[in-house]
Amino acid sequence: MSHSAMLEVKNVSFSINQNRLFQNLSFNLSEGEAIHIKGTNGSGKSSLLRILLGISSASKGDVIWNAAADKIFLGHKNVLKNYLTVADNLHLHGLNATHSEVKSMLQELNLHNKTDLLVGNLSYGQQKKLALVRIFLNTSKVIILDEPCVGLDDQTRVLITSFLSSELDKNKSIIFTSHIPLEIPSSEVVIGRL
Amino acid sequence: MLKKLYHQFASPKTYIVLVDKMYPYIFYISLCVYSLALIWGLAYAPADYLQGNSFRIMYLHVPASFLSQSLYLIMATAAAVFLIWKVKLAAYMIKAIAPIGALVTFIALASGSIWGIPTWGTWWQWDARITSTLILFIMYLGLISLHSSFTNFEKADKFISVLVLIGFVNIPIIKKSVDWWSTLHQPASITLTNKPTIDPSMLYPLFFSMIGFSGLIVCLVILSSKVQIFNRESNKSWVKDNV
Amino acid sequence: MFILFKLELFKLRKKLRAWLGPILVFLLITISFPLTVELASDDLKNVFYSVLWIASLLTVMVSVEGIFLEDYEDGTLENFSVSNDSLFAMVFMKIFIYWLLIGVPISLLGTFFSISMSGQISSINIALPSMLISTYIFINLFSLGNSLSLNKGSVLGALITMPLLFPILILLGKIVLNAGFGFEISNLLLLMLGVLLLIIVCIPFIISFIIRTHLE
Repeated sequence: MSHSAMLEVKNVSFSINQNRLFQNLSFNLSEGEAIHIKGTNGSGKSSLLRILLGISSASKGDVIWNAAADKIFLGHKNVLKNYLTVADNLHLHGLNATHSEVKSMLQELNLHNKTDLLVGNLSYGQQKKLALVRIFLNTSKVIILDEPCVGLDDQTRVLITSFLSSELDKNKSIIFTSHIPLEIPSSEVVIGRL
Repeated sequence: MLKKLYHQFASPKTYIVLVDKMYPYIFYISLCVYSLALIWGLAYAPADYLQGNSFRIMYLHVPASFLSQSLYLIMATAAAVFLIWKVKLAAYMIKAIAPIGALVTFIALASGSIWGIPTWGTWWQWDARITSTLILFIMYLGLISLHSSFTNFEKADKFISVLVLIGFVNIPIIKKSVDWWSTLHQPASITLTNKPTIDPSMLYPLFFSMIGFSGLIVCLVILSSKVQIFNRESNKSWVKDNV
Repeated sequence: MFILFKLELFKLRKKLRAWLGPILVFLLITISFPLTVELASDDLKNVFYSVLWIASLLTVMVSVEGIFLEDYEDGTLENFSVSNDSLFAMVFMKIFIYWLLIGVPISLLGTFFSISMSGQISSINIALPSMLISTYIFINLFSLGNSLSLNKGSVLGALITMPLLFPILILLGKIVLNAGFGFEISNLLLLMLGVLLLIIVCIPFIISFIIRTHLE
């Protein structure tokens, strides 16, 4: 495996209950690179992400991660507790809401004056933004996102895209699925039938 | 060579071929043996001096209870094999044996109740062995319901294996319960170490009935496992040829 | 490990109805018991241990119902397994915290009531250790049941693990009987302690395997 390669996927196939979702998938990921996984609904994009994360295992083939590649993941579930405040939720993820870095991130996402609100009272989009805070303030080398911009308005989407681009500049790698086009330089991996 | 053996036995296809060959023999031999045992036991063995003729239900009750525990042991072995070596055939066997285990345990409980009426005057008693056997029955039912509540079969296999192994603690309790607590059930008459305390004229039909009944149940297990294998491997080509 | 402890404690502490509710239910049962039975009868003192034990069993069973459900549904469990932290440690801590916030208060309350019922301080020797150990065992076993039915949210898992409870219940019943008659129970308590130590190690391991399978 070359120096900057983060991930090698070789001939991966996956099936549930004898139904094959995808087969013989191969691609590589390097540092500072982004991969956009495309496919129709139900083609197995989320399943592929789970295989890459190590939660599920592929029916056939190999997924080889660089030993230095620590991953962080955001999927459809927000990993937020509805009965705790925004500040408490950040605390659960090891983030102090009074730190300058956290404060400026919250300010950019327009959540800084909501730190004492219960997450259950926030709107869907605001909860999604809070979930993304955890991703951007993390030092993991690989970011894996499943539909990151669902439920966000255009302005926020532009903001998130700029955050993702700056992560790429910091030499992190991103793997994402998105039906909504994201304006970051990425290579495409298509699974299933288009 | 060991690897070759492993591949042979772990493959459902080989299993089906093997089993198809053996089935007629097992069925007919067990049928004969068990019929022989029943006739001998029901008609020719002498009446017990305490219980009279009612003890004859022993020829159904004892094989059934013995089998209910043995089947669970086989399931537990299969569960361990599945979890350690990931042999799918083992998981199919667990699913196949569970309903039959439930059936046999039910026969054991029912025949035991029927035996209890003339002997103890009651058809139910909360003594250690009966209660633990009832728990075994509930465990079998639980296994069946757990597996059918999952749509993803691979997950269901893992859960059922874990549950079988956890429930395994019940088996030593059943076996030893007649020794630990002095209760209604009589202690074991046939052990591996001591001379049997039961009279030979009743012992021989009992042995034959055990063998015969076990053989018949093995036939049921074979049929059930074939159904499971055909179900789960339904898109493989050799299945489409066979069915 | 200690960080996990603090985080889990933080989560449960804030969710008042999850732990205060069961404690209040237990309190309700133990208070209603002497109110509904004649105080003067001698039988009361023997039956009381039974009532304590059954009340703690049911309270624990109901309170542990959502132990993993919330974390499963909001993605915390998934996140945990991605970050390669030890799921065993997390499950162990969760169960421990539940015992600290539910099992221990119930045991203290129960001991207090047993003292007031029997009029002897020495009943603390019977009630306190047996309740502390048995509540911890129950929490472990019911968590196991709930982890099996994680995605269905039904009580199927709890029902399935009930047969496994029976050996413990028999042991506990023996303790209660002996305590009622005033016999020596320290050897039975030691046995129960041994069972607890075995369970503390095995159950979180089994549960983490079950959760990993659910997440697949």
